Amino acid sequence: MRSRRIPAGRIPSGLPWVMPAMVVLLALSIYPMIYSVKVSITDATGAFTLANFTRLFHDRVFGAATLQTIVLTIAALGIEFVLGMALALLIDSLARARAVFRAGLLVPMLLPPVVAAVAWRLIYNPQFGALNGTLRWLGLNTAALTWTSGENSALLSVILVDVWEWTPFVFLLLSAGLQAIPTEPIEAARIDGAGAWRIFRDVTLPLLKPTILLALLLRAMDLVRIFDQIFILTQGGPGTATETVSLYIYRTAFRFSNFGYAAAMSFVLLAATMMFSRGLMRLMRAR
Amino acid sequence: MRVSLSLTLCVLLAACNRTPEKTLTIAVNAGVEGTALKLAAREWGAARGVRVEVVELPYANLFEKEQLDLTSKTGAYDVIMLDDPWFPLMLQGSLIAPLPHPLDADFIASCVEVCKDPKHPDVHFAVPYVGNSQLFFYRKDLFAKYGLAAPQTWDDVLGAAKKISAAEKIFGYVMRAAPGNAAVADFMPLLWAFGGDVLDASGKPVCDSAGGVDALKFMLELGKYSPPGYAGFNADEVSAHLLQGTAVMSINWPAWIAAMDDPSKSKVVDKIDFVPMPSERARGVGELGTWLLAVPASSRHSGDAFDFVFWATDPPQMKQAALRGNPPTRRSVFQDPDLIAKFRAFPAQLSSLDAARPRPRTPNWNEIENTFGIYLSKANAGNLDPVAAMHNAAAEIAQIQQRAK
Repeated sequence: MRSRRIPAGRIPSGLPWVMPAMVVLLALSIYPMIYSVKVSITDATGAFTLANFTRLFHDRVFGAATLQTIVLTIAALGIEFVLGMALALLIDSLARARAVFRAGLLVPMLLPPVVAAVAWRLIYNPQFGALNGTLRWLGLNTAALTWTSGENSALLSVILVDVWEWTPFVFLLLSAGLQAIPTEPIEAARIDGAGAWRIFRDVTLPLLKPTILLALLLRAMDLVRIFDQIFILTQGGPGTATETVSLYIYRTAFRFSNFGYAAAMSFVLLAATMMFSRGLMRLMRAR
Repeated sequence: MRVSLSLTLCVLLAACNRTPEKTLTIAVNAGVEGTALKLAAREWGAARGVRVEVVELPYANLFEKEQLDLTSKTGAYDVIMLDDPWFPLMLQGSLIAPLPHPLDADFIASCVEVCKDPKHPDVHFAVPYVGNSQLFFYRKDLFAKYGLAAPQTWDDVLGAAKKISAAEKIFGYVMRAAPGNAAVADFMPLLWAFGGDVLDASGKPVCDSAGGVDALKFMLELGKYSPPGYAGFNADEVSAHLLQGTAVMSINWPAWIAAMDDPSKSKVVDKIDFVPMPSERARGVGELGTWLLAVPASSRHSGDAFDFVFWATDPPQMKQAALRGNPPTRRSVFQDPDLIAKFRAFPAQLSSLDAARPRPRTPNWNEIENTFGIYLSKANAGNLDPVAAMHNAAAEIAQIQQRAK
């Protein structure tokens, strides 16, 4: 094999072309990351401290935000997966008008999250909103339905908006995965006398596993960082009922100007996201 | 390859050597307050022959952009428009340039106070541009119908809320209690009227005093006459209730006065009256929310920047700004007969502004307000009793103050 070693003293000819990308990567990714580490482990005088990390253990808002982020991620992910899978199977089984249904289902996902959140804020308004208006028209008493303003209903309201907006994304991925499955194993199973549920469990699901993993990973990473919907719908309230880690990081950095503590929380969030993703991948591979 | 690299370098060097055109960059709030300043900036630029670039940012982003510019000393903005509660934090580290001369006596005293650094009370660091202070909005037609006088005390407010809501089947009161600024802004006039405060003169939290707890109890009592879900309300929901005629009274900001009398937006044209904040154990005072103009110390065109700031706040220009919808900060403009004829709330606004109090002058106010607002929101959502809410808020505010030392 021909040696690809570059003679000493010569600059690799490709280097000038790679340099701009390297400079951009250094400036936009590596330098901010190093700077974030630095501010998270130094105090206002520049001295080394772990105070930003130890504060996390007794910060009640951070604790509540972490718990709510976990609940929101698991609930929304579960609902989006079940609905996305059901829709993908249903539309995949249709003989006609698949493209029409597919295009219609994608509309919520195409809206910018901020626009969707503003629209839902209006829909959820207890007195003037379309949701309670419709329920009242149906003869229901909506006096107690305060949606985003209720301590118990606020998180559920946020989850519903996320499910409405991002189930189509899960559907799209799973639908593409279903279409990529070869028909032979399914036909063979059918000839062997397997029913619809058996075919789904033992043939479709195992072949769809890589797509499911991708859909769950992408959505989980997005949900852990959820910000726009909550910022517009509830601002974390009432109280801290819908405060999430991302929202708390934003407030700490840009409202309270405490970049060190915000950086410390960001690293914890990053570590948690990586661990969650790795756990999910292991779980999927094990089955 | 060498040719293309040489050409790229030449273009880059040429771009670096280009003499920059003098441009005054102004950061303004995207809203009625900023619109008037934007128009003024264009007129000043045309008169002085200076290119003016106006950066409009929504309220939520304005603070973070300005604070980042100040702390990183980039000089991106030559003039910044800022809300007065942000000022103590922005003053830290000499990041705002002092004014070359003091403000004249025509400016309203409460607006001038927030332009000072408590450590240097003789120096002004900003010019007040928009004279905002909270007002009490009420349905004068319904008050007249039930033989009630304009509310003087919070007990009058509660009494009227009970009477009118029972008879008219509308909400007697509407307030905002979403966490953070919304809940705190609607609670502060009550807290002060009941003799309480957030911090004492030494910066120690005192919101859990008897006055503070009583004020929160009273807020919850008023909540019984507010629309369900008010614990998540912001200014737009409160104003929607007033505009739709579904609520009788509220605390609100002058920016909403014009909408109340606009037939395209309001069902209560000429039915709302505006009075200064009701009293209770202490004189009623509203929160001050003055928009200020300041010049960052890192500005590269500070001469032009100060020229613009003083030009935009001189009496003729402030009258123009008032005609464009901004409440003035000069007494002479508030008392201008043309403006009084056009803006019926001006006498009440001036009276309210004279009495208005700023939010506590601490660099940690954003964090304190956030924490305080969380507990107020929890209490209004029915998840915490007033004593526990105030006690917990005071404990957490003490921690914030301790960390900042």
